[in-house]
Amino acid sequence: MVTSPHLFSSTAASRRLHAARALWRVLAARSARLAAGLHQTWRRSLQVRVVTITLVASSLLVGGFAYLIADKITGILLENAETDVLLRLHNGSDYAAKQFNLYSQPQEAQLQDTIDGTVNYLAGGDPAQTSGVVVAITADNFPRTIEPRTSPDVEIRPLISKELRASVAGGNIAHQIRTGELGGERTKYLVYGSPVPTRFGQVELYYLVPLARQDATAADARATVVATGVALVLLLGLLAALVTRLVVTPVRVAARTAQRLSAGLLDQRMVVNGEDDLALLAASFNQMATNLQRQILRLEEMSRLQRRFTSDVSHELRTPLTTVRMAADLIFAERDEFEPAVARSAELLQAELDRFEELLTDLLEISRFDAGFAVLDSEPTDLVPVVHRVAERLTSLAERAGVTIELDVPATPVIAEVDPRRVERVLRNLVGNAVEHGEGKPVLITLGMDQSAVAITVRDHGVGLKPGEEKLVFNRFWRADPSRARQTGGTGLGLSISLEDARLHGGWLEAWGAPGQGAQFRLTLPARAGDRLTTSPLRLVPADAALPFGGPRAGGLLAIGPGSAGALAIGPAAGGDDRAEVTS
Amino acid sequence: MSRRLLAVLLGGVLLGTGLTGCGIPDNSGVQVDGRGPAAESGSLNGGVVEPPTHTASRDPKEFILNYLQAAAGEREQAYERVKEFIAPGSRSLLREKHGSEITLTVVRLWENPEVTPNSDGSSVVKIKVQQVGVLRTDGSLAPPVASETEYQFTLRPAPSSTDADDPELLITDLPNVLLLNDESLQKYYGIHTIYFWNSDQTRLVPDQRYLPSAVPGERRVTEVVRWLAGGPSDWLAQGVIRLPDGTQLINNATGANGHWEVNLNMPGANDARLGRLATQLAWSLPELDGQLDLKIQNQKRLTVDLKQERLTHPVYLVSGNPERFSVYDGAIHPLSLPGEVSGPVPVGPAANKRIISAALSRSGDKVLAALVVSGSDGRQRLLAGSGPGPVTVFNGGGPWYKTLGRPVWLRSLDPQHPHGLVVAGGDLYRFDGQAVMKPVSLGVPGKVTAVAASLEGHRIALIIDGALYVAAVNLDGGVVTVGQPRRLVTRMSDLSAVDWGTENQLIFAGSEERPGIYERRPAIYETSVDGALDTALKRDIGARVTHLAAYSGSSTDLVFMYEANKVAYRNTPYEPIKREQVLDVTPPAGGKASNPTAPFFLY
Repeated sequence: MVTSPHLFSSTAASRRLHAARALWRVLAARSARLAAGLHQTWRRSLQVRVVTITLVASSLLVGGFAYLIADKITGILLENAETDVLLRLHNGSDYAAKQFNLYSQPQEAQLQDTIDGTVNYLAGGDPAQTSGVVVAITADNFPRTIEPRTSPDVEIRPLISKELRASVAGGNIAHQIRTGELGGERTKYLVYGSPVPTRFGQVELYYLVPLARQDATAADARATVVATGVALVLLLGLLAALVTRLVVTPVRVAARTAQRLSAGLLDQRMVVNGEDDLALLAASFNQMATNLQRQILRLEEMSRLQRRFTSDVSHELRTPLTTVRMAADLIFAERDEFEPAVARSAELLQAELDRFEELLTDLLEISRFDAGFAVLDSEPTDLVPVVHRVAERLTSLAERAGVTIELDVPATPVIAEVDPRRVERVLRNLVGNAVEHGEGKPVLITLGMDQSAVAITVRDHGVGLKPGEEKLVFNRFWRADPSRARQTGGTGLGLSISLEDARLHGGWLEAWGAPGQGAQFRLTLPARAGDRLTTSPLRLVPADAALPFGGPRAGGLLAIGPGSAGALAIGPAAGGDDRAEVTS
Repeated sequence: MSRRLLAVLLGGVLLGTGLTGCGIPDNSGVQVDGRGPAAESGSLNGGVVEPPTHTASRDPKEFILNYLQAAAGEREQAYERVKEFIAPGSRSLLREKHGSEITLTVVRLWENPEVTPNSDGSSVVKIKVQQVGVLRTDGSLAPPVASETEYQFTLRPAPSSTDADDPELLITDLPNVLLLNDESLQKYYGIHTIYFWNSDQTRLVPDQRYLPSAVPGERRVTEVVRWLAGGPSDWLAQGVIRLPDGTQLINNATGANGHWEVNLNMPGANDARLGRLATQLAWSLPELDGQLDLKIQNQKRLTVDLKQERLTHPVYLVSGNPERFSVYDGAIHPLSLPGEVSGPVPVGPAANKRIISAALSRSGDKVLAALVVSGSDGRQRLLAGSGPGPVTVFNGGGPWYKTLGRPVWLRSLDPQHPHGLVVAGGDLYRFDGQAVMKPVSLGVPGKVTAVAASLEGHRIALIIDGALYVAAVNLDGGVVTVGQPRRLVTRMSDLSAVDWGTENQLIFAGSEERPGIYERRPAIYETSVDGALDTALKRDIGARVTHLAAYSGSSTDLVFMYEANKVAYRNTPYEPIKREQVLDVTPPAGGKASNPTAPFFLY
């Protein structure tokens, strides 16, 4: 019972503490947000930076000058007042000394009258005419015998500090500025004191001169200086803003125009005003944009012409080729009746015509891709039969090359939304290449999938690829060894078409290879058409690939992950830099 | 935008703080501008005689005598000093006054105080006094206002007294006036003469004031200027003019070492007025030499060399030494006294006969002569004349009188219009160069028996009904008018003759009443023009003095002659003027030798 107030108070205190903390957090968050905003504004706007710097610098400069001027004015005013009062004090002290010189005892009766008269005389009589100057004579050494006198009759004791009295009593002429009320409003007073020598000792003469006029003048001067200074600073800020705006606006326009240009709007131009540097910039920019546009258009036109040419040539070649084909077929059919040399030529003719037809087909396909006429005809397809079909079709070729094709295919169907004709063409191409370059070693086809993607890898153990060739293999008509004669009917366009097919699916087609270790190609396709690929279910680099120096290739990534039995496994990163980005 | 605003605010705040920082501060530290003038200590007058204090005597009689001196000194502390004598419980009996109300009642003791001891240890002291006057704050001694002739004090031993056998005393009962005896007036006060201009501003008229000796010399200038600004004594007011109304000293007159400064408020101050004021000041401050700056409202208007001013504007036109004459056998004869020069009789031989008394006066280069001559029937009349050499032409068609007093000339600056005064038949008459006598009205009833004129001719002394009076004379418009006479208090009564001894002293003869002596005896006294100084010059003359003439041009010594019992005397030493000292006398052949009578001075 007794402790309950404590408890209550402690809970109240803790509540308050919590509230304070919450408030602090809110404030901190707000100020952080504000600071972040400010920082962002600061970084983004050249105009804000220039104006701010101008304002701060000019404020400091103008403030410094204004301080100097105001200080000087105040100093001069004070000095004038002090000089005036000091002169009056000297005269007053002389006068008072003469007056008091008649008395040799502080007790003399007329001394008090003389003090009254002297004070009144020095004060100038009518208080209304003396502009608030107060004259006082005190006698700190004779506190009982001589009464202090003041004219006009006001209480001045609070205005004359102990220190000043001590100093004046010590025989110094001294002054001090004090603020107080002498029967009116609160005013600053310049209090001057001087000893007045007499025959019986020393009395003190004080002048209290109001500094209201000086104060008002100083305040006026200060206000003028401040107003001028603020106006100057604002003007400078405005000027800086204007000037910066003059520079920044064209730059912004240029930036916007450049953005639009880069976005493909090649006909965007800047407005050229006048003949200044900015106009020159705009003109140069426009010139550059025009040149670029012309070049781009020219190149586009050239490219279009080239593709059209290819397409046209392919089409135009097809008709005579058909005729030649028919004649060649006739000749080929009658080859047994010819001489062996001629028969051999007929066979050669037939083979080369086949290649020619293939080449034309590929060229047409490529030109369809180039022209953008390729259309994906996707449907949910089980990829397992596709893989089997490709393997079967190429079995004869493999047997001729002495290569075995091994399959690593899941037992369950692997369904994906793909164009089966194109996938099959890609696979045929990849497996054909693998068989061709397999050097008699087995070729492994692996099919894998996860939730979002399916992948097929084709692994051979041929000569492999040199570093840097992983991307070159997809170039049109690229050969690893140009001097090597084609044994198979490869046109040099297969991988390019495959890449275009993969790209049409929104998938990836990548290559890995190392000299002496063979090569592996991986096709990764999204499980649903239109999805974006992030990972592949299968690795590009085969698990049996040897790592040079026990680590990744120079420039490659090192993948660090959990290994078996708790060990840390370090190996080349899955994917990595050698992945051919075909995401677009 | 907010950034910009912030920057502007920051700049404004910077400016603001910077500027408010550089205004006049509310309070600052003490800044010393240097050493002030150093004080020099020291007293001006160490040897001032102070009145005795209440502890000076334990004898009741002396205690009261000391009490009668206690008020002497600076008037503001008079009550303080006097109350030391009074028992604390009785101090309220003496009502305290302030400022110009502080007046001292000056009394003259007739005889020693009379002490009556009481059985309870207290004692009663009675003093018999003559009221001399009232010493005002302006230093003038005004006629007395009180009429008491006796004051009574009660004394008791002071309870705080240490010596039980001979206790200190305190007054428990006393009259409610500040008393001062006349001796203290001479002992503790200095006599100062200040001068006012007569009404036509041709002559300076002296006015006598008292200033406590305790007042240091530097302050005397201040006091004198205040007196001048305050105007003349009442009785002089009709004969002189004041400074312009509103004339006032601003603070004190200051200065030392031959340079003085007087700052005045003076309405209508012009150069002529300031010049006259300078002359007034120069003569009123005879002890000062050197420069005096006259400032009006702080503006320096005139600088006077005081000594030079006194030389260029002499207050009296006294030329040459006085020559003594007397009447011998009805004719004026010069007297020859050892060590003195004598001149010829400035009256033509034709007129120098049947003369009773005469008055001669130098006025410029002329001599004024007024003669009282007797007719065949013993009646007397006045003749008057003037001339550069011996006066031969006398006018005098006036009536005959039974007796005519000795005539006096008012020493005027205007020789063309001389004026004189004469007493005839108990009335005062004025006469001019034509000896036309016209009565002068006096504000005092009574029989006038003698008249005497002062050196500057603007004050006269009169004896009316045996009492001594002084009065101011105004010669405005060529008409002699006499102001309200002021009676002077003296110990003598039944006065018979008077003349001015110096500018402020009167010599007069009458009957002296002395304690212990029943009979009144003729004596010659001198007194100051306000009656304060009343001392005997010559006692026990033996006969009534009928005639008294003095040379008032001397500033130090009193020089006078008188006649008593038909014998002429002179002072220094007091001796009769012998017949041998009368010049130009043919010894009478066997006839009864007569004595010179009615001696007088020509100056």
